[in-house]
Amino acid sequence: MTPALRRWSQRTRFALLVLTPILLLSILVIAFPPDGTQRAQWAQFIGRFHPIAVHLPIAFILLVPVLELAGRNSRFAYLRPSADFVLGLATVGAVIAASLGWCLARSGGYSGPLLTQHMWSGVWLATLCLLCWVLRERLTSRHGEFLYSIALSITVGLMTWTGYRGGQLSQGEDHLTEFMPAGLRKLLMLSVDTKIASPPSADTFYGARIHPIFAEHCFTCHGPEKHKSNLRLDSYPSLMRGGKHGAVIRAGNVPSSELFRRITLPATDDDYMPKENKQPLSADEVKLIQLWITAGASATLPLQAIKDAPVPTTAVAEVTFENIDFAAVAKERVGLAPAIAQLQKRFPNLLDYESRGSADLTLNASLLGEKFEDTDLASLAPVADHIVIADFSRTAITDHSAEAIAAMRRLRSLRLVHTKITDATVHSLTGLDQLESLNIFGTRTTPAVLPIVASLPKLRHLYAGETTIRADSPLPAALKGKVLF
Amino acid sequence: MLDEQDQPETAEAQQEVRRTLLEAQTRRHFLRSLGGGLGTLFMGTLAAKYAPPAFAAGPYSETALDFTRDASNPLSVLPPQFAAKARRVIYLHMAGAPSQLELFEHKPELTRLDGQDCPASFLAGKRFAFINGVPKLLGSQYPFHQTGQSGQWISDRLPHLEKHIDDLCIIKSMRTDQFNHAPAQLLVHTGNARLGYASFGSWVLYGLGTENQNLPGFIVLLSGGKTPDGGKQLWGSGFLPSVYQGVQCRSHGEPVLYLENPPSVSRPLRRSMLDVIDEINKQTYAEFGNPETVTRIAQYELAFRMQMEATDAMDVRKEPGSVRARYASKPGEASFANNCLVARRLAERGVRFIQLYHWGWDSHGSAANEALNIGFVKRCREVDQPIAALLDDLKQRGLLEDTLVIWGGEFGRTSMRENRGGQQMKFVGRDHNPGAFTIWLAGAGVKPGITHGETDDMGYEIVKDPVEVRDLHATMLYLLGFDHHKLNYRFQGLQQKLTSVKPARVVGEILA
Repeated sequence: MTPALRRWSQRTRFALLVLTPILLLSILVIAFPPDGTQRAQWAQFIGRFHPIAVHLPIAFILLVPVLELAGRNSRFAYLRPSADFVLGLATVGAVIAASLGWCLARSGGYSGPLLTQHMWSGVWLATLCLLCWVLRERLTSRHGEFLYSIALSITVGLMTWTGYRGGQLSQGEDHLTEFMPAGLRKLLMLSVDTKIASPPSADTFYGARIHPIFAEHCFTCHGPEKHKSNLRLDSYPSLMRGGKHGAVIRAGNVPSSELFRRITLPATDDDYMPKENKQPLSADEVKLIQLWITAGASATLPLQAIKDAPVPTTAVAEVTFENIDFAAVAKERVGLAPAIAQLQKRFPNLLDYESRGSADLTLNASLLGEKFEDTDLASLAPVADHIVIADFSRTAITDHSAEAIAAMRRLRSLRLVHTKITDATVHSLTGLDQLESLNIFGTRTTPAVLPIVASLPKLRHLYAGETTIRADSPLPAALKGKVLF
Repeated sequence: MLDEQDQPETAEAQQEVRRTLLEAQTRRHFLRSLGGGLGTLFMGTLAAKYAPPAFAAGPYSETALDFTRDASNPLSVLPPQFAAKARRVIYLHMAGAPSQLELFEHKPELTRLDGQDCPASFLAGKRFAFINGVPKLLGSQYPFHQTGQSGQWISDRLPHLEKHIDDLCIIKSMRTDQFNHAPAQLLVHTGNARLGYASFGSWVLYGLGTENQNLPGFIVLLSGGKTPDGGKQLWGSGFLPSVYQGVQCRSHGEPVLYLENPPSVSRPLRRSMLDVIDEINKQTYAEFGNPETVTRIAQYELAFRMQMEATDAMDVRKEPGSVRARYASKPGEASFANNCLVARRLAERGVRFIQLYHWGWDSHGSAANEALNIGFVKRCREVDQPIAALLDDLKQRGLLEDTLVIWGGEFGRTSMRENRGGQQMKFVGRDHNPGAFTIWLAGAGVKPGITHGETDDMGYEIVKDPVEVRDLHATMLYLLGFDHHKLNYRFQGLQQKLTSVKPARVVGEILA
């Protein structure tokens, strides 16, 4: 050991020892920058441990100011000395993490400005940690303490920044702000809409049909943040430029377009895109890309130019449920309620609101059979306006009720199965302009009612079985396909 | 905790107690509650993040509608949540799982490959009830043709139903996660593969009540043979009050045993007896408040009213011979045909939920009665004409407008021939396939004459528009006027629903 070296403290010697790998790492980063090529090597295997290894130095670096600050209090003074040890560990951890990071970047197929920045800040962070550790020895002087605290603050700041950029690299550019409430966004002066500006024109086939496919399936790896294999698909020029293997699209030549080859390989192939765990392209999307390349892969081709392009399937609107405004319903029912309460006592379970959200009524008198007569029907007069569905099948009503039924002007469905009504009742129904379904099965009605029924504007079904109307009776044109026997 | 006797009376004393309690709290208590509190806060944020949208303050909240009724009439009618297309349901369950590949699924490619070894990809990771080793593919045993204006495919086994093809909405992409009969039947009926959940009919009865108080609102009819493997739980009410369970009526002889008064007991005498019993039961209810007491009162009353109407409603002899002939109904037999005719009579009488079972569809090929070329043919013949006649009648009388008819089994059958024990079997059959099966719906609010969903060329797996059992339940409840989230019942700390806990989707594509 030379005398010069012996003069240095043990700490300085250790610092030099740690500095060596840092310098080595810097040389590696300069000489062998990540070039987006994936290499199946030891380096990649080791590199995969980078995301795990980074958390140790992060925790240690954060711990240092905590120990230092807490140690200022005389009650916790014993904490202070341990900061030194923790800082040393943090330094070693940072060097290891940065080295692993280079392994991952170099072999994992990454490149891009974000990555370069992250890598250099990693190297600097390791250096800064080391510096802090060296400075800490001179804490006793006032000057030394000041320098140390500055260096430590910068270290913590840089660590935060490096960690954030690393997060962006693996989780996406907006991984922290993606779900930030709009109010907070404004406060931090972030753009409220985070979408990338100026997407290609939606009037072109490329802009409307092709670009969105890439955006959905490819941008995570071949977009603004990462350019795996030096390929970017987020703009037309970069798409046509291709990646490190050359062009991926050859206009008019589908078979030699690398991009098309990759998306049509069997999903188990190593070259298949998108890579595993990513949503594969649908058959329609593949077809669209094929048609577009065949047509010349132009950025300006109008949207309508390719005739037989698969149309985007318009999904059936999902069924949604509306909330009932019970206060509004109660208001609607208020004038009606006493009459209904009274009638419900008389016809239990047979008269009720059509739904929880309406003041319309449904009536099923058929269950009373012969016990339900014209006078009973007349008693419904106060609520007649609100009855939308009425079933009088097998009751004892006759033509005397015709007027009372006609007064139910909002009826949508009327059943008169096996009743004694005749044509006269049907004739009086001309005003029921909401009626969709009329059932006169098993009544003594005759074909003479058909013109009347035909005049009902909304009618969809006339049930005329077991009447004197026959399947072969001449039908008015308006009733074609609507009469069931 | 303080006992009630120790409850201090004055405000001062209460304050004193509070102070003592606070003093007794040590740092350990504080730290412990702190940890728990932090954990709770954390869980709270997690719940907000991972809860389905319905749970958070979304477009609708997870609260139930109000289903409280007068205790004396638990079956009274309540309006649906929104205007409903369907007011009643006729559910035709084919226990044992009919083969979709012999009825609705036309797969020429499978027929072409008939007899070849099943590809390994069909078997990887799959569990079968009986298939062992490498089975052979089995093409459809019967010819298919297109029919009706809708041009849907159907085999030659259902010549009568075929005339209604334009009324049917055929779902070919039903999927279940159960491959044995009992759990799969439970899943189809109760939304859950385990015992103890309320059946579909019970939910409907709970939600809507029943118009005809002289008949049960939920009637179950078996067509002889054996009870479905799922047992009576298939129409049980689970955690719902038992008054909402299905009432199984006998398919021949008296529909309900001991319904008639014994000789020398007159109807007025019976009435006064019941009045006294009711009085006692009401006292019991006032004292203990057990809802089952209400069920008991309601059942006595229902039985009394049923004396008048049930026998009449269930008697197919009341129908003209020509009608019975259309159904191929023979009075006095326990048959699916008779039950279909009864189903129509019950629908006319305002019964809310009519559940018909047919049996023997488990076509494994292990015995003649379970063979696709023997037993299956008989099963088809037993149901084909009656179902067609039922649809005829419902349509003719306008009832199909507000009656939802459902036909289906509990799962599908494999595209491979069953080879129990790895051997070729004497008869032709197929094993269970939960991955794809076919059902059809008809009537109220359902788009007629369409096919929904698609399976692969072998009819083995779904390739388009899969419909889970819970999706079907959500859709049926929608037709009956309910948001499946809102028709719920609080039990064991959960808002229990027919669709259970996984998100269900109303199949909008099949709604008219």
